[in-house]
Amino acid sequence: MSLIQLRGISRTYGAGEHLVHALHPSDLDFDAGRFTAIIGASGSGKSTLMNILGLLDPPTTGVYRLEGQDVAHLTDAARSAIRGRKIGIVFQSFNLLPHLDIRENVCIPMRYAGVRKRDMRDRASELLTRLGLGNRLHHRPTQLSGGQCQRVAIARALANDPPVILADEPTGNLDEPTGREVIRIFQELAAAARTIIMITHNPDYETAVQRVIELHDGRVVRA
Amino acid sequence: MNLLHTCEVTLHSLRTRAIRSVLASLGVVLGVGAVVGMLAVGEGARRESLGRIQSLGVDNLIIRAVRPLATARQDTAGAATASALDAYGFTERDLIHLRTRFANVRQVVPVRNLRKTVYARGRPTDLILAATTPAFLDVTRSRLADPRGRWLSALDGEAMNLVCVLGRTAADRLFGAADPLGEAVSVGGMQFRVVGVVASEASVEMAGGGPINNMVILHLRTAAALFGTILTSPETNRLVQVEADAVYVAVRDTAALPDTAARLRAYLGVTHDQGDCQLLVPYELLEQEKATRRMFTIVTGAIAAISLLVGGIGIMNIMLANIFERTREIGILRALGARRSHILGQFLLESVMLTGLGGLAGIALGAGIAAAVERTAGMKTVIAPDSLLLALAVAVLTGLLFGTYPAWKAASLSPVEALRR
Repeated sequence: MSLIQLRGISRTYGAGEHLVHALHPSDLDFDAGRFTAIIGASGSGKSTLMNILGLLDPPTTGVYRLEGQDVAHLTDAARSAIRGRKIGIVFQSFNLLPHLDIRENVCIPMRYAGVRKRDMRDRASELLTRLGLGNRLHHRPTQLSGGQCQRVAIARALANDPPVILADEPTGNLDEPTGREVIRIFQELAAAARTIIMITHNPDYETAVQRVIELHDGRVVRA
Repeated sequence: MNLLHTCEVTLHSLRTRAIRSVLASLGVVLGVGAVVGMLAVGEGARRESLGRIQSLGVDNLIIRAVRPLATARQDTAGAATASALDAYGFTERDLIHLRTRFANVRQVVPVRNLRKTVYARGRPTDLILAATTPAFLDVTRSRLADPRGRWLSALDGEAMNLVCVLGRTAADRLFGAADPLGEAVSVGGMQFRVVGVVASEASVEMAGGGPINNMVILHLRTAAALFGTILTSPETNRLVQVEADAVYVAVRDTAALPDTAARLRAYLGVTHDQGDCQLLVPYELLEQEKATRRMFTIVTGAIAAISLLVGGIGIMNIMLANIFERTREIGILRALGARRSHILGQFLLESVMLTGLGGLAGIALGAGIAAAVERTAGMKTVIAPDSLLLALAVAVLTGLLFGTYPAWKAASLSPVEALRR
């Protein structure tokens, strides 16, 4: 069975005359350890899909199974807990907290998962060292370059060792070589059996991933 | 999630907005400070007056001689009157009536202020020279300060012994470190041997009277024989006839004290209608004190409520602004696994810490106010520990109360909405 199963997943906004179909009912499967890109123009529904996958937004209809468990219609608290432990999210604009040093930033998901303070600091240091930031643990995000910030964000996404990493245009704010570096990190993670789902605008990356899903006007046109 | 760690993070978050946090909690600081300061002043005043009242003896009644208004007016006008005699106050006849007709009366102890200068070692002093009966020691709850000495006895009166007892302060001032027992003081050319030293918390409420510790005390009978009942008052160039400047009345049954007081008041109303006797009932004063205190508590409470309301609104305002500014941060935390309850808890903790720290600062301010009042106005202030606890609890409660709406608002943001900012 696939790691993620979406069955008849849709999302509408508004009601009556103002009803907008952001995502028409769709079926999608994501297997463990694969690197998938979701592409499409603005307004194609890829962000909506990403929010549903990230449990940030419940679907209007359909079933979302993550590791066999239907997670779409759980309580907010349960979805938050699953979001924190099973899904790591990487944003286009990094979304690091500027008043915390980068190690504390990486600790945040572990804090909500109830990891002990000592353990989470060790884990954060280890992850940051693996991503080449071992000598910057106490730097603030503002003291780092964009590429470094995105590596911190990736470390943070990995903090609770989730099976799935969602990346929303992770290279959008980076220059070409730095972007390639981030893609390389994702490839390595996928090779180590982690499921990576990435939204991107850049057609160059289509060759870097194992699968491309294309959305158009809220429908899956390539899967 | 580790609470200590959360506090640490929250503190950090407050520190990054230090000026705003300080301004926001200023209302609470000032409110708590004012209340703590006021309570300290109030408590000090209460204890002082309570101490004064209790030192009079709650099972006592006190009749004080008051120079009538009419006589005083004559004096200031300088009108030539036939008599230069001011006679007022409780008389011997009244004392007899009191002793024989009031069943509940156990002791009647008159005290006279002899208005004479006491000399010691040839030098005049400003000590009060009083004359009273032996029961005085008992009704004023005084005790011998020096076990070798003795108090005045009935025999001293009968035998006209020329002896006196000194109050503790008086003894110190007259003889310092030297032993006063056996020494003599001189009044009107007569020598009185010191036979004892007394210590007392009480003061005698009478014309020119004061703390018993500050007195030189003679036996009433001896004093009357030597100096008569009519005294000269050189300052006003008049004669004064006061048989008792103060009368202590001790009752048998404290429960019946209000009745006895009422009867005595009625008696005085008839026999001393010119108002030259004033009845003092410490028990009633105590009741009045309680009523006054209730009023004070209500007023303080109202001020506290208003200032904390204002402070609370300030907190709510600033928390709403914080949350508006940090919407994105809330979204990020939610995306990283924070539940609604985590967000609610964090912002609630933040407002509680704001008001709690504000409360602590307010307590410091209040203590400062109390110290300043004590130094500048010379009023005694007492900071009761339970008032501090109450102030802190109310401050924290204010944070909880006014932080709930902003925190709830923050927690109810959907992650997607919050991230969109």
